Amino acid sequence: MRALAADPAATEQIASARTLVKVYGTGEAAVRALDGVDVDFARGEMTAIMGPSGSGKSTLMHCMAGLDTPTSGTVLVDGENVGRMKQRDLTRLRRTRLGFVFQSFNLIPTLTAEENITLPLDIARADVDRGWFDTVVDAVGLRDRLDHRPSELSGGQQQRVACARALVSRPSVVFADEPTGNLDSRSSGEVLDFLRRSVDELGQSVVMVTHDPTAASYAHRVLFLADGRLVGELEDPTPETVLDALRALGAGRREPVPHGSRSSAHAMAMDRDAAVHGQHLAAGHDK
Amino acid sequence: MTRVALRSIRSHLGRFLMSVIAVLLGVAFVAGTFSLRAMLSSTFDSIVQASAQGDAYVRGVTSASGGSDPSTLGQERGVIPLTLEPILKATPGVAAVVPDLSGPVVLVGKDGTAVSGGGGAPSFGMAYDPADTGITLIVGTAPNGPGEVVLETATMQASGLAIGDTTSIVLGGVQQVRVVGEASFGTASAGARFVLLDRAVAAAAFAPDGGVRSFAVYARDGVAEKTLVADLRTALADQPAAEATTGDEVRTEAKAQIATILGFISTFLLVFAAISLFVGAFIIANTFQMIVRQRQREFAMLRAIGASPGQVFGSILVQAAVVGLLGSAAGVGAGVALVAGLRFVLARMGQELSGAIPLDASTVGISMAVGLVVSLVAAAVPARRAALTPPVEAMRDEVVVADRGSRLRSVLGAVLVVLGVVAVVASAVADLSSAGPVLGAGAAGIVLGVLLVSPTVVPAALRVLAAPVVAALRPLGALARGNVTRNPRRTASTAGALMIGMALVGAVSVLAASAAESTRSIVQNESTADFVMRSATFELPKEIVAQVEALPGVAAADAVHVGPLTVDGARTIAVGAPAAMFGRTLKVEVTSGDLASLTRGDVAVRASVATAKGWAVGDRLTVADGSQSRQVTIGAVIDSRALDVDVTLPLDVFQSLVPAGQDVVRTLFVAATPGSDLTALRAELTAAAKPYLIVSVLDNAQFADALADQVNQVLVILYALLGLSVVIAVLGIVNTLALSIAERTKEIGLLRAVGLGRAQLAAVVTIESVLTAVFGTVLGMVVGVGIASALPSVFADQGLSVLAIPWTRLLVVVALSVVVGALAAVGPAVRAARLDVLDAVSHE
Repeated sequence: MRALAADPAATEQIASARTLVKVYGTGEAAVRALDGVDVDFARGEMTAIMGPSGSGKSTLMHCMAGLDTPTSGTVLVDGENVGRMKQRDLTRLRRTRLGFVFQSFNLIPTLTAEENITLPLDIARADVDRGWFDTVVDAVGLRDRLDHRPSELSGGQQQRVACARALVSRPSVVFADEPTGNLDSRSSGEVLDFLRRSVDELGQSVVMVTHDPTAASYAHRVLFLADGRLVGELEDPTPETVLDALRALGAGRREPVPHGSRSSAHAMAMDRDAAVHGQHLAAGHDK
Repeated sequence: MTRVALRSIRSHLGRFLMSVIAVLLGVAFVAGTFSLRAMLSSTFDSIVQASAQGDAYVRGVTSASGGSDPSTLGQERGVIPLTLEPILKATPGVAAVVPDLSGPVVLVGKDGTAVSGGGGAPSFGMAYDPADTGITLIVGTAPNGPGEVVLETATMQASGLAIGDTTSIVLGGVQQVRVVGEASFGTASAGARFVLLDRAVAAAAFAPDGGVRSFAVYARDGVAEKTLVADLRTALADQPAAEATTGDEVRTEAKAQIATILGFISTFLLVFAAISLFVGAFIIANTFQMIVRQRQREFAMLRAIGASPGQVFGSILVQAAVVGLLGSAAGVGAGVALVAGLRFVLARMGQELSGAIPLDASTVGISMAVGLVVSLVAAAVPARRAALTPPVEAMRDEVVVADRGSRLRSVLGAVLVVLGVVAVVASAVADLSSAGPVLGAGAAGIVLGVLLVSPTVVPAALRVLAAPVVAALRPLGALARGNVTRNPRRTASTAGALMIGMALVGAVSVLAASAAESTRSIVQNESTADFVMRSATFELPKEIVAQVEALPGVAAADAVHVGPLTVDGARTIAVGAPAAMFGRTLKVEVTSGDLASLTRGDVAVRASVATAKGWAVGDRLTVADGSQSRQVTIGAVIDSRALDVDVTLPLDVFQSLVPAGQDVVRTLFVAATPGSDLTALRAELTAAAKPYLIVSVLDNAQFADALADQVNQVLVILYALLGLSVVIAVLGIVNTLALSIAERTKEIGLLRAVGLGRAQLAAVVTIESVLTAVFGTVLGMVVGVGIASALPSVFADQGLSVLAIPWTRLLVVVALSVVVGALAAVGPAVRAARLDVLDAVSHE
C-alpha cells in the first residue's frame, strides 16, 4: 500500500481525502456510507475504485467530485478544499477543473456530438482550443460523427463523445462513474483504451468507479472499498489479480483481510452498507 | 426519506392543483355564462311581463320584407293613428285602452346633471295612465299638466330628487317640472330611467302628428284574450294599417327578441369558455402524462403481477374524475361568484338586475358534465399509453416516446389553412353576397388548420425565432431551442392556447384601429363644418337647431335627421338632410348624378345599394311610411360614410313621411360665417347647449375622437376577456415547463455536473418559456391580423372603410408576450435551479 502523502495539498496528488465520513440519515437510521477514508489520487495516473455494491465507492467519488457534501473530513482537488465550497464555487470548479463521464445519459439529446463536446467550454464562455479539440476528437476517433445527434450514435460512440467532452476543457481530473457499465466488451475496450491513453499520452488524471475487473485492469492502480473503508489496493493490475483481490475481499467476510484488523465490525458494517444500498434504491423509486 | 416523500406529495399536489384550477377556470366561464344569461333573461322577461300587461295589442302592420335587419329591430312596424282610440274603446269587452306614448327624455337630477341610465341604458318619458296595470303609483299624485312629473322608484333614487322638488326635463325643449309622485313597475329596470308625464304632455312630445306605435288593450273581467282580439279585428276591419294581436303573442315576441340578443352575448362568452376549456384539457393531459410517467414502474409492476391494462387505465381515470369533479364544483361556485361580482359592479354603476342569481339544475349539470368530460378525455390519452405499455418496456431505464406530428394531421391542417385563406381572400376581393359568413368560415378554417399544422412548423419557426438568442447567449440559447423543438407537438399545443387568444387580440386591434381610422377619415374627408353638436343620447333636442341657427356668427346649422322608412317595400333607416347642406357643411363623394337635384325633391342613394339593386340616376322609388307613400326620383348616387344609410332624402320630403315621433335629430353641423371668431362662436354654442345638459359641442378633431371613443369603449370589455384567456394560456405554459423539467431531470443534472450554473439553468428555462410565448403570440398575430385585414373590404358598407394595422400596438403585445413568458418561467425555473445535482444525475 502506498503511503499517504504528508501534505495532502502536495502537487503529486491531484486529489486527496482525509478522514472522510459520509453519514446518511440521522439517529437510529443513520448509516455511515464512508467511514473515515484516507486516500490520495496521483497526478497523471488512472485510478480505479472497486468494491461490492454499497461499499461506498460511488459515494467516495461523488464526495471527491463535489457532487455530494461529506459529513466530515477534508477533500482536496488540485489543491482546493472541495468540502468547504459553496454552490457557486462548486459550479465553477466543475466547469474548469473537473470532467465527468457517467454510466448512462451523458449527452444532451438536442445537441450534436461536437456541441456536446464543447458544452463545458460554451457554458464557461471559454474559447475552444481547436488544436486540443482536434487531438481529443481524433483520439476518440469521432471525426466523422461530429454532426450527429446522440440518438444517431451507438452506445460506445456516445460514451466516447462523453469522454471527449470530459477532456476538452483540460480538467485537472476526470471522474468516470461506471463509464462502461452499459456497454458490450468491444465498446468497453474502446472507451477504456481511450481513457488510459488520455493519461499516458495526454497527461490527464482519471478516477474511475467500476465493478468490472477487466475495466479496472486498464488503471495504474486499483483501490478496494468495503463498508465505507479503504480495504486494499493493487498497482499495475491485470484482470486476474483484480479478481483475486476481490475474492480475498469476499473471504474477508469470514477472515480478517491483511489490510485491517477490524473483522468484528466488518460484518456489521456490511449489513449496514446493504441497508444504505437498499435505502438508496427505495429513494430512487420514490422520485 | 421523509423529505423525498413529502417533496413528492407536495409536487403532486401542485400538479393536481394546477389541473383543478384549469378545470375551475373553464367551468367557471361556462357556469357564469349560463347563469348570467339566465339572470339577464329573467330580468328582461320580467320587464316585458311588467311593461306589457295588456290582454291585447293593436299595432301597425309589418311591411312585406322587413324585420330581419337588426338595424331596424323594433321599428319594422308603421305607426297607427291615435284617433283609433275611441273605436277600440267602443269595442265590446274592452275595459281600457292605453296608447304607447313614450320616447326619450332627459331628467335633470338633484346635482344639476342629467340622470343617466345605468350602463348606458336609456331614459324614457311616458304617459301616466291609471288604466295601465303595469304602473302603480306608490306615493303622491298623478302628473297633471306640463309642470308635473312622477318618477319611477329607481329613477327617483338615482336622481336624488324627492317628492315636491323642482327640477327640469329636456323634452323637445327644457321644461321646469315638479316631482309630484313616485311610481313602481314592480320589477328591476336594468338601469333604464322612467319619467311619467301627463298624458297630454306625452302625446304632444311623442305623438305630435297623432301617430303611435301601439295600443295596449285591457279586457273586462271574464273576457278571454282570444274573444277580445277577434272583436278588435272586427272593429279594425276598415283599418288596413292596424292589426290586433293577443298580449301573450306580443310578450312572446318581445322575449324572443331578447333571447336572440342574449344568445349573441352567450355565444360570444362561450367562445371564451371553449378557449379556457381547451387550455384546461391540455393542462390536465400534461399533468397526467407526468404522473403516469412517474408511476410507470409501479404500473409495470402491477401489470407484471397480473393487473389488466383496463385496471391500470381505470385507476388513472378515477384520478381524472376526481380532478374533474373538484374543479367543476369549484368552477360552478366561481362562476356564480363571477356573476355576483358583475351584478354588484353593474348595480354600483346604476344598472340593477333581478335579485337572485339563478343557478338551475341544468346549469350545474352542464357545467359539471363539461368539466368531468374534459378531464376524462384529456387524461384518457396518457392513461391509455400507460395501460398499453408492455411491462418489460416500462421497466427499462429510459422510455423515449417519439412524438412527431402525424402526417395526416399536418396535411389536413395545411388543407384547412389553404381553404381558409382562399375563403378569406375571396370574401375580401370577390363581390360575394354572403361575404360575412364566408369570411367567418375561412377564419375558423385558418385557426383550426394552424392548430393542426403548427407541430410541423414548430422546428423551423422556432429556429428562426431563436436565432438571435442562440447567437447572443451561447450555449444557453441553443439548449433552450433544443428543448422547445424536441417535442414539437407539446410546444405547439402550449403555444396554440396562446395563439387563439392572441389571434383575437390581433384581429380586435386591427378592427379597432380600422374603425377609429375610418371614422376619422369620414370626419376629415366629409365634414367641412366648423363645429358639430351631438347628444349623449344620440338625439338632439329639436329646439336647439333653431336656437343655433339664430346665433350671430352662424352661417348655417344643418341638422341630420334619421328615421325609419319603407323604400321600395323594404324597411330601412333613412336620413333627412337640408338639400343645401351638401357643399356647405358636408362634402360627399358623388358617384353619379348631382346632389343639387335634392333641392327639387330628388333623393340620393348609397352606391353599394344602387349596385346591388340595380338603381341608377333617374329611376323612381316608392318611399312610404304607414298609410302615406310617395314616388321620388334618384337624383344622385353617393358614397358617404357620414351619411351611413341607404337613402338620403331632402329634409322636407323626409319630414312629410316619417312620423314626428320617430324623427330624430342625430347631428348638427354648424358652419361659421366667414371671418367670425371661432372661439367666441364656440362659447356661444356651448352656452346654447348648456341647458340641455347632454349636448356637446365638438370641433372636427374632437368629433373624430368622440366617434373613435365609442369604438374603444366596446373594446375595453373585449380586451378584459382576452386578458383572461391569456392568463389561462400562461397557466398552460407553466404546466408544460414543469412537465418538461420533470422529464429532463437527469439531463439537468448532467448539465449542472459539467458546470452549468443555477442562474444559467434558470435562464435556459426562461428562454424556453419566452420562445413558446413569442411563438404563440406571433402565430396568433399573423392569423388574427391576416383575417382582420379582410374585414374592411367585407364590411365597407358598415362604415369600415380604411384598413389600419396598429403596428405599434401589435409590437407592444409581442413585447408583452416576452414578459408573459418570463413570468410563466419564474416558478419552473426556480424549481429547476433548486434541483440537487447528485439527485438529478441519479434520477430515474
